[in-house]
Amino acid sequence: MDASDDASLPVLKMILIGPSGAGKSALLTRYCDDEFEPDLSQATIGIDYKIKRLSVRGKAYRLTMFDTAGQERFRTLSTSFYRGAHAVLLVYDISSRASFLTMEKWFEEAETYTVEGIALCLVGAKLDKADPASASSPTSETYEESSSSQQHDDDSGSSGGGREVSTEEGKALADAHGALFVEVSSKTRENVRKAFVETVNRVVTTPNLLDKVRLNRSGSIALENGGKGGRRGSKVDDAGAGSGYGLGYLPNLGNLGGCSC
Amino acid sequence: MGENILADTLWDVVICGTDLPQCLLALSLSRSDKKVLHIDPNTYYGGSEAALTLQDADEWAARLSTQESNAVFKAPTISRSKSAPNLSTRAYSLALGPQFIHARSELLSQLVSSRAAQQVDFLAVGSFFISKAASDGQRHSMIRIPSTREDVFTTTALSMKAKRALMKFLKFVLNYEGSENADTWKPHAEAPLAQFVEDHFKMDLELRSYIIALTLSIDGKITTQDGLAVIHRHLTSMGVFGPGFAAVYPKWGGLAEIAQVSCRAGAVGGAVYMLGTDIKDTKTVDSISEVELTSGDKIKTRLIVKGNGGAEDGTDISRLVAVIGSSLKALFTATVEGAPIPAVVVVAFPADTLTAADGTANKSPVYLFAHSSDTGECPSGQSVLYLTTSQSPHSKEVLGLALEKFLGSGDEPETPQALYTLCYDQSGGQLPGRQADDLNMVLPSLPLSLAFDDTVLKPVHDAWKHVMGETAVDAEYMTFPERNGGMDDNDDDAYE
Repeated sequence: MDASDDASLPVLKMILIGPSGAGKSALLTRYCDDEFEPDLSQATIGIDYKIKRLSVRGKAYRLTMFDTAGQERFRTLSTSFYRGAHAVLLVYDISSRASFLTMEKWFEEAETYTVEGIALCLVGAKLDKADPASASSPTSETYEESSSSQQHDDDSGSSGGGREVSTEEGKALADAHGALFVEVSSKTRENVRKAFVETVNRVVTTPNLLDKVRLNRSGSIALENGGKGGRRGSKVDDAGAGSGYGLGYLPNLGNLGGCSC
Repeated sequence: MGENILADTLWDVVICGTDLPQCLLALSLSRSDKKVLHIDPNTYYGGSEAALTLQDADEWAARLSTQESNAVFKAPTISRSKSAPNLSTRAYSLALGPQFIHARSELLSQLVSSRAAQQVDFLAVGSFFISKAASDGQRHSMIRIPSTREDVFTTTALSMKAKRALMKFLKFVLNYEGSENADTWKPHAEAPLAQFVEDHFKMDLELRSYIIALTLSIDGKITTQDGLAVIHRHLTSMGVFGPGFAAVYPKWGGLAEIAQVSCRAGAVGGAVYMLGTDIKDTKTVDSISEVELTSGDKIKTRLIVKGNGGAEDGTDISRLVAVIGSSLKALFTATVEGAPIPAVVVVAFPADTLTAADGTANKSPVYLFAHSSDTGECPSGQSVLYLTTSQSPHSKEVLGLALEKFLGSGDEPETPQALYTLCYDQSGGQLPGRQADDLNMVLPSLPLSLAFDDTVLKPVHDAWKHVMGETAVDAEYMTFPERNGGMDDNDDDAYE
């Protein structure tokens, strides 16, 4: 498949949220690049989002996945980050009770700033730490190291110990919010793919979700080509519409109606 | 990394405040390797351009009431209709200083070339109206201001004589910088535009009020030079992004959304963000500023960039924001075939058309921006009105009158009601003591205008140059390639 074919695929937007140090970036890197860096201490600078082509139920999509770019570190994630999302992965660290305790707040934020019926998935990360044998390995296995000044309330504090949040607790919280639930290990790959695939499956099987997200953007003007495409229909499902305008991922974003840029 | 990132880094710049100019600076530096720390004393993005939920607005007003010294916003009052259902606070996004952006604005060019525009939904700004008292003086009706030649031909609101005068004027403005036309207006450059169009185009009072409304001049006294420039911008912006509109408005609260998207770009580029954090103390050691933050963190930086807290022009305005329990659907209609449904329309109440209880008429126009729920600023079935006028002893009363006249001017059987109103004054005075030197720069705040003014872009560019030093290449300013999302080869096929 060449790039132009990819550009015509419907785009799904997934965002990853959760406290600093929960393992969001490690999860994304494992899923997209099949890599795991034990000493990774911060999100890679310069990556706005990652893209993967994903086929679900016989139909291909472009899955765009947005990390927080570290903006959760001092609780400065902006509401604009949530716009147009179809799915949210809410990630905590099963070896940190503190990180789990922030999740109610993250659910509230996700539910507030996204369309109703969006696909939510609660992800308990660092499943490998549940096993006492691996939990006792050397310190080089810390994941994202968290910021630990006391006043920054979103600090999960990587404990490095064993499991502090039971599977049942995680499942109960997910159920309370109608979310999927999965525990994963980016280190061992366990369940990583499952988290993404099941969430996308929920997006495409939720009636009207794609339409709802699209409607939320209705009337929007495409600036990129001087408005020649008229209105920007949607970032989603423009496949076959023959337009491609306003997608934002297109390479030839030109002048503004003759203005020099 | 970790707990010591703040203290261990020698920051190239600490940007204080998330008003639009500071955020644009963060965007401009987002592809550089400069170390950027971006803080804001507020717990929300956007500074004077912020968009607030109802709960945010309540807290904002309560905080202002206890802080007499705040130089920008003053005297907030909030009222909620008793008959209104419990409003869902988070469903609202009220802009403190809503401004639309003309299609020809350099800001839009920069947002496109920097790729930030991809993350913002822009909506069409529709027609301008004049609210005009009927002959009985009670009921007001709204007349659309013809601002294109086609409009002038088709309008039924004007006499043939007025049409000819208006047509002649529009033609004049389109080429106002040409030598012949310039000879006509330049001797009157500093005189009021209203006087100029009366003398040279024989416009009557009503037609003059149309022209002034098009300029969105807060005090109605805009000069000939400035007024012609604004109307020229309006006319030449018409149709740039599609038929029937000259300006756009960012969904979800206007410029606040651009501020947020710019900060996200900054964060992706490695900038560190802290809200609810201010500079507490600064001292200079060996050409480096040692800064103590209110969070207790101590940091070192080569440069501090702040906003100046208020606009430079020294005007003071009063604002009224009202959430209306009606979609006001009839207002938001496309006027040209193929035009998008506008999300914003502008209504002007000319001077001397609203009379306070003591008999005083408004000396300055009142401008009302109506935002449909398409802006995302309120739930569907409602709308948000933003009214602005020059500050005066009567300004709040006048704003209330304008709101009442507007709500009573529709054809709906039941007059729409305000569910929530927020009233406040905004000052354009500059904060004292913010002097620029080698270690400190000051970015001017946005002028208190109703349309975005490109003059704030140059100081941002200058600040960028200062931070970049010798590595600054002007041609690359705000021009960035696509961030590679890394579409990889290994497809993931599931549920085939």
